Amino acid sequence: MKNNSLLTRRDFLVKSFTAFSAIYIIPDIIPHASASKPLDKEVDSSTRWAMNVDIDKCVEGCSACVDACVDENGLYGFDRPETDSQWIRKLTLKDIKTEKISTLPMMCQHCENPPCCDVCPTGASFRREDGIVMVNQHTCIGCRYCMMACPFKARSFVHENLTEQVTNAPRGKGCVESCNFCANRIDHGADTTACEEACMNEGHQAITFGDLSNPNSRVNKAIDNKPGRRLRADLALKQRVTYSGF
Amino acid sequence: MHQLVKSFAFIIFIFNPLLTSSHDGEKHSMKGHSKADMMEQCVEPTIVMQKEHFKFLYHQRDKTVIKGVRTKKHSLANCIDCHVSYDNKGEAIPVNSDGQFCQTCHVETAVNIDCFSCHASVPRGKQVILKSNDNIKSISNIHAKTSYLIKNLEDMHYEK
Ligand code: HEC
Ligand code: HEC
Ligand code: HEC
Repeated sequence: MKNNSLLTRRDFLVKSFTAFSAIYIIPDIIPHASASKPLDKEVDSSTRWAMNVDIDKCVEGCSACVDACVDENGLYGFDRPETDSQWIRKLTLKDIKTEKISTLPMMCQHCENPPCCDVCPTGASFRREDGIVMVNQHTCIGCRYCMMACPFKARSFVHENLTEQVTNAPRGKGCVESCNFCANRIDHGADTTACEEACMNEGHQAITFGDLSNPNSRVNKAIDNKPGRRLRADLALKQRVTYSGF
Repeated sequence: MHQLVKSFAFIIFIFNPLLTSSHDGEKHSMKGHSKADMMEQCVEPTIVMQKEHFKFLYHQRDKTVIKGVRTKKHSLANCIDCHVSYDNKGEAIPVNSDGQFCQTCHVETAVNIDCFSCHASVPRGKQVILKSNDNIKSISNIHAKTSYLIKNLEDMHYEK
């Protein structure tokens, strides 16, 4: 599998470890019925999807989340790691001072102030009302500005004609794509993403997903227990994906 | 005068087939191969579908992608699920391949669509939700799975 790419960008590494200044402030808790949205209802900001990754629980060498994402979205590549799409990848980080090795999944961080959307010339990069940042492939022209703007290198570009797409995840040549918190599943009433489910099934429970507006959601319970932090908090992007255990 | 009306009516009668599209009322699906072939009615009246199907699709795609609305009625995945034909071995034939449902009319009318460069042209893969006829059942399956997950997490809390 194409995960576990040892992180070469020293820059990222250093900053990751030094800049976790902002502790995740647990948002005002609104009593919220988390009944799944009816299929015909539009998403709104009363739901705020978020994810937390507990790095202490993320196991080195495990790629369950990456594999699950590949299956869920039919991200079969061409054995060309340089260009094959990755919506989630595993990074291995080494703390310079303590030499401690940690590993974590990296994917779209679903920023509340997403730089990808700022630079998109067609509005194809957008943030859905419920906080999911994604690409509207119907209007994406493949300019890849968003890929350059993303500090997490979370987006991929499809370089080749594809044939075996799965029904639930259309994708094709000439467009940018990235993690969309399994929007299709979520909209159909699931409250877990493919990666969270895989991580749970693996028994690691490092990834927790859920609705920030629901005090009982798994992600809220996880960050109550152990504060989640945003990577590169200095950029003030207010990501909805947080990491705890650093 | 009477004569004039009569011949006028006759002319209209003669040329009538040219005035209406030759596609009205004519069926383009291959009999006995797809789900649709065993059904009476499309998601809208046939005459409406023939003329407006792409408007429904364009409308639906924005509603779905931007607003997260997932109604099945005008969903492209749903069109394919119902209109895709199966060969003798039970394999689905891509809806946009030669002679198939989303292709025949388009060839005749010189319409080119790129939808199937991204959208699966046969029902494929992880589609627990869209494939099943009763959405509710599969959703409750997912819930069952999830509540099991929550339980796991709570157990973990107690351990601490
Ligand atoms: C539940 C099954 C079903 C679904 C879903 C469905 N259709 Fe149909 N469709 C039919 C049937 C049955 C007919 C034939 C109706 C008739 O014979 O009058 C038909 C007819 C049509 C026709 C006219 C074909 C002709 O022969 O003139 C078009 C165009 C069409 N459908 C497009 C679509 C599109 C686009 C979608 C998705 C938005 C869709 N259909 C979804 C069952 C379905
Ligand atoms: C570049 C790839 C791409 C192309 C080309 C494309 N789509 Fe999509 N389409 C997508 C993606 C990605 C989604 C979002 C899927 C999701 O979230 O479930 C989508 C979703 C949709 C949906 C809502 C989901 C569904 O199945 O109902 C409709 C309708 C749709 N597209 C119609 C079209 C039509 C019609 C065309 C051709 C004119 C087209 N698309 C071409 C990528 C594409
Ligand atoms: C009854 C014949 C017929 C069938 C069957 C049919 N189409 Fe069409 N389609 C047309 C015609 C004719 C047009 C052009 C309409 C126009 O431009 O006014 C068209 C246009 C379209 C367009 C818009 C193209 C554009 O350039 O904007 C889309 C998208 C489309 N069809 C999708 C489908 C899909 C998907 C199916 C299969 C489910 C399908 N069609 C089946 C006749 C058909």
